[in-house]
Amino acid sequence: MAGRILAVVETEGGRVRESAYELVGLARSMAEAGGGTACAAVLGADPAAAAREVASRGADTVFAVKDPLLTHVTADGAVAALKALVSAQEIGVVLFSHSPMGWDVAPRLAAAHGLPALTEVVGVEGAGKTWTRMMFNGKLQVKMELAGSPLVATVQKGAFPAFEGQTAGAVEEFAPGLSAAQVRQRFVEVVAAPKGKVDLASAEVIVSGGRSLGSAEKFGIIQELADALGGQVGASRPVTDAGWLPHEHQVGSSGVTVKPKLYIAAGISGAIQHIVGMKQSGYIIAINRDKEAPIFEVADVGVVGDLFELVPALTKAVKEAKGKG
Amino acid sequence: MKIAVCVKQVPDSDATLSVNAEQTWIEEAGINFEINEYDRYALEEALKLKDAHGAEVLAVSIGPDRVGQALKTCLATGADRAVHLKDAAFSGGDPWSNATALAAALRPENPDLILCGLQADDDNLAQTPVILAEMLGVPHATGAMKIDRSDAGLRVERELEGDRREVVDLPLPALITVQTGINEPRYASIKGIMAAKKKEIATPAPSDLGVEPSAVGRAGAKITFSGLSHPEKKEGGEILSGSLEEITAELVKRIRENTGVL
Ligand SMILES: Cc1cc2nc3c(=O)[nH]c(=O)nc-3n(C[C@H](O)[C@H](O)[C@H](O)COP(=O)(O)OP(=O)(O)OC[C@H]3O[C@@H](n4cnc5c(N)ncnc54)[C@H](O)[C@@H]3O)c2cc1C
Ligand SMILES: Nc1ncnc2c1ncn2[C@@H]1O[C@H](COP(=O)(O)O)[C@@H](O)[C@H]1O
Repeated sequence: MAGRILAVVETEGGRVRESAYELVGLARSMAEAGGGTACAAVLGADPAAAAREVASRGADTVFAVKDPLLTHVTADGAVAALKALVSAQEIGVVLFSHSPMGWDVAPRLAAAHGLPALTEVVGVEGAGKTWTRMMFNGKLQVKMELAGSPLVATVQKGAFPAFEGQTAGAVEEFAPGLSAAQVRQRFVEVVAAPKGKVDLASAEVIVSGGRSLGSAEKFGIIQELADALGGQVGASRPVTDAGWLPHEHQVGSSGVTVKPKLYIAAGISGAIQHIVGMKQSGYIIAINRDKEAPIFEVADVGVVGDLFELVPALTKAVKEAKGKG
Repeated sequence: MKIAVCVKQVPDSDATLSVNAEQTWIEEAGINFEINEYDRYALEEALKLKDAHGAEVLAVSIGPDRVGQALKTCLATGADRAVHLKDAAFSGGDPWSNATALAAALRPENPDLILCGLQADDDNLAQTPVILAEMLGVPHATGAMKIDRSDAGLRVERELEGDRREVVDLPLPALITVQTGINEPRYASIKGIMAAKKKEIATPAPSDLGVEPSAVGRAGAKITFSGLSHPEKKEGGEILSGSLEEITAELVKRIRENTGVL
């Protein structure tokens, strides 16, 4: 495989997002395994400063892909610019983060080369012959092989360590020469979701429930345990999607990231998007009737069983323990 | 306006999964299937646009006979027609060959809007729709949490991380993938279920769509999947056992010792 491995860097307000260094680190290890070089691309109207930063932290060559139509990155703009770069620079592998930008751009860039992408990978053997990813929300893993070039992959955040060293890479400007007609999406603005009343980020105890609670009423048993422990209630996404609790209670990649002293997950399977929001908690208790549930991987202690039995019993035991002081 | 919704049937989220002998997919026998949750939200979004502006809604799915049930549910919920790609040639595809099949089915339909789920809850690949958009040459947006008509076509709010959204305008025709929580999916009414009996589910073969059988399904797949398995247990936590009283007493003890909150 080898050749040139390109990490597509995401920026925010001109600053490099930390996840970019996970891609750069992976590009380096793949390049070392296959005798290639670790490259990176920063897209923007004025990407030079960010490109220099990436060149000082891991990439041998950073392409500052500069075009007024990349002031805001759109799917069409990014695909056209990266397609031009890939062919001009003979890139063999293109790495994205599995992020809102990654899943918007990567499959289309791959398809423009007549290939599917390899999405949300968590492992790569050597220079990119075999790739590993999860399926069924973390319950199963699978290996993938794909012939063709360029291989386009999105990489799960946190799956590879960020590159931490110092390097003296080169920055090369690349002008893709985009035309307005190529970019059909028009960026309007980025808006913040309205803030809710509770802030789980500062809670010391959080008791979270998942889809299996079944209704807003049945969620009461989660609230009672949270009350007994003097904590807040949290939830997985299906709970807030269904409106059983307001969105501000949702823990995870599209909700809040929490770090309480105690986190109890009841009837939550442990999809990666939930785990990234709570794995930093001090002590984690998981209750799930499926012993294979991925949530047990991040728990300090787990109970395999029916939450409708266990949660009320634990509430009672906590109240009694507090009574005894 | 014509809106196509791509719907996949997936194992229900509480299903106990075992792996087939080739280690390429799960053993499907004995599992209950349901409409992919993301796709239920996509269908609802189509029905909302139909209610507000008038539209013909077409549901499309690749999959074996069992998928007929999912399409009947779509029709009973308010879709007008369905296309079921169930010929054996369509089975066992990857995102590339499935997008090829969907593109062949949708090209003659020429929809103004294609709605899909952000990802399928079984393979979690999150890419079939985006490949489909490229094959059809239409612009796309992924992970929509709001879709409104605008002068230019559609205004879409895409979910970003950290509780933010990116607002983009898209001209029609276009393809949009939908994130869960965008709306409140309706259920089929009795009237809807009765009306669905008269609605058509077409089952075209590859030749009816002008696509080579070798371009779709397993034959047209480009990614080779292997070694599907339960991940090795890492250190993970200890699993408690005992009577209900023993377990809750042990949990209280651990909370005391490890967290200081009791
Ligand atoms: C872009 C994106 C962003 C996302 N953001 C988030 C996010 O921020 N937060 C989030 O949580 N999810 C998020 N998700 C969704 C995530 O992928 C999962 O779908 C979701 O976390 C699953 O929620 P759950 O565990 O409640 O439900 P399920 O996965 O359906 O799990 C239910 C669990 O309950 C168990 N169970 C059932 N009955 C009982 C019982 N009686 N007793 C004990 N256990 C029982 C089952 O064994 C199962 O493990 C996101 C997904 C995407 C694609
Ligand atoms: N077999 C299928 N039939 C119809 N639509 C599908 C199929 N597979 C995937 N899709 C569509 O593509 C979306 C994303 O699927 P995936 O790329 O597999 O994660 C789904 O939510 C569906 O809208």
